[in-house]
Amino acid sequence: MGHIVLQHVTRRFDNGHEALSDVSVGFEEGSMTFLTGHSGAGKSTFLKLLLRADVPTRGKVLVNDVDIARLAEKRLPRYRQHLGVVFQDHHLLTQRTVFENVALPLRVGGMREREIGRRVRASLGQVDLLGKEGLFPRHLSTGEQQRVGIARAVVTRPKILLADEPTGNLDPQLSAHIMDLFARFNQVGTTVIIASHDIQLIEAMGFRMLQLEHGRVVGDHAATRSTAEWVGETEAPATADLGGQE
Amino acid sequence: MGGESFHFVSARLGTSFLVWLVVGIALALPAGLWILQVNMNEMSAGWEGRPGLSVYFELQASTEDIEVAAQQLRKHEQVESVSVTSADQALDEFKTYSGLGDALTLLAENPLPASLTARFAQNIDTDVVDRLIAAVQDLPGVAEVVVEKTWLERLNDLSTAVSRLGVVLAVLFGIGAVLVTASSVRLAIESRLDELRVLKMVGATQGQVRRPFLYFGAIYGFGGGVIAAMLIAVTLVVIEPPLQSLLGSYQQELDLAGFNLGFLAFLLVLASLLGVAGALIAVRQRLNNLELF
Ligand SMILES: Nc1ncnc2c1ncn2[C@@H]1O[C@H](COP(=O)(O)OP(=O)(O)O)[C@@H](O)[C@H]1O
Ligand SMILES: [Mg+2]
Repeated sequence: MGHIVLQHVTRRFDNGHEALSDVSVGFEEGSMTFLTGHSGAGKSTFLKLLLRADVPTRGKVLVNDVDIARLAEKRLPRYRQHLGVVFQDHHLLTQRTVFENVALPLRVGGMREREIGRRVRASLGQVDLLGKEGLFPRHLSTGEQQRVGIARAVVTRPKILLADEPTGNLDPQLSAHIMDLFARFNQVGTTVIIASHDIQLIEAMGFRMLQLEHGRVVGDHAATRSTAEWVGETEAPATADLGGQE
Repeated sequence: MGGESFHFVSARLGTSFLVWLVVGIALALPAGLWILQVNMNEMSAGWEGRPGLSVYFELQASTEDIEVAAQQLRKHEQVESVSVTSADQALDEFKTYSGLGDALTLLAENPLPASLTARFAQNIDTDVVDRLIAAVQDLPGVAEVVVEKTWLERLNDLSTAVSRLGVVLAVLFGIGAVLVTASSVRLAIESRLDELRVLKMVGATQGQVRRPFLYFGAIYGFGGGVIAAMLIAVTLVVIEPPLQSLLGSYQQELDLAGFNLGFLAFLLVLASLLGVAGALIAVRQRLNNLELF
């Protein structure tokens, strides 16, 4: 799982507005892609189709050759358990600790308590938040909150990682750090798709860039370097233990 | 995730208590009527075993007339006892109980008739009763024969009315209890929509998302059942003494039936189920088709 193909996908809303128009594009398993375009270009709609929070008006969204738009309602949970999702406003649960927030997908999946503890700590270690398990989201800085959201997205070791403006609220330095994290997750075989309008940051990284405008793909720039090269070039954080990917 | 429901209820104890109270009152009325009806049935069953009749004599009836009627009844083997109240005794009793006392001595004549009451054997036939009535009615000096069965029938009618009223109230208030829990559960859902969306996003099944709220409804219903039980218990304690003295005058022992473990279990289970039904309505309205973002 991790191979994604969109075939002639159109999403037209009830008011007649087309957020996506006849989009056909593919993502190799284990690839890393940026989805760019101005606000309103259709980036979020694109990701919602992959999350199956929305279905296309026309066309197919194939994930490992399965059209997820036709997936029965009761099979959605299993599908979503294979995804990791990061949002700009991270959607953390304010009444729960950092640990509980990150543990949520594992609990939903019915994992045993001891394994949950191990996994949550490993995941928090990857985003440099070990030691903050007991805090509540309001005690954390914006950047830290965003990293908790990322830890929650990757704690299940998903095959596909979707991020919608994950650096939207962050300063350039923190943004670079977050993007670096995504590159590292991609390194262990996860298919990563990140929507962002921060063209400067994205161009500098040199990964595949899919450009949307008014719901159409207007540019598909191939990567100028691999995530392996990128990770090699950037300084590895002390806690960068990315092992254990299944 | 059941723990979460308890947490949710305890965090809003004030509101939860109000819901319990409303559900409790709604359930207490029909349940109380049911207990009342059970007891009325029991009473009439208790009395049905030893019906009897009363004979009222004309004012001019002689002592012989009275004695003839008494003998007529006594000689029948299915009549267990006959007791005669003479006109003078009746007047004495009336003086004592009415408190009018000496005022009645001013009357020129005793206005009260003599009477007798006969008690039948436990399993007397209605045919036999009918024949006895016919025989006594035609005797000289007899004014009226009253069978106690008539007021028994009234009690039965009343008991039927009470039971029907109970059913109607049970349906109406049951619906009320369901709607009250439904709206409370709906509020609980509204207050946690963000959390529920996150749960769905990370792959929670419909069951996982719904379950806490079904528990929640069950807790609301159960609590309402407990309140209803307490309301009924208190009511029974309050009405027992006056009932006791009322029934004591009929030589009847008061033994309130119906409020036992079986009744409690039934009430609590039913209340919990009503709560779950309310929760199901809320969940159906609010959680099916919950948009992710
Ligand atoms: N539910 C909706 N109904 C109508 N129009 C919508 C809806 N959701 C999004 N849109 C419109 O679709 C377009 C694309 O939205 P979106 O995918 O959120 O863009 P982006 O994430 O690139 O900013 C926008 O013009 C937006 O206003
Ligand atoms: Mg967007």
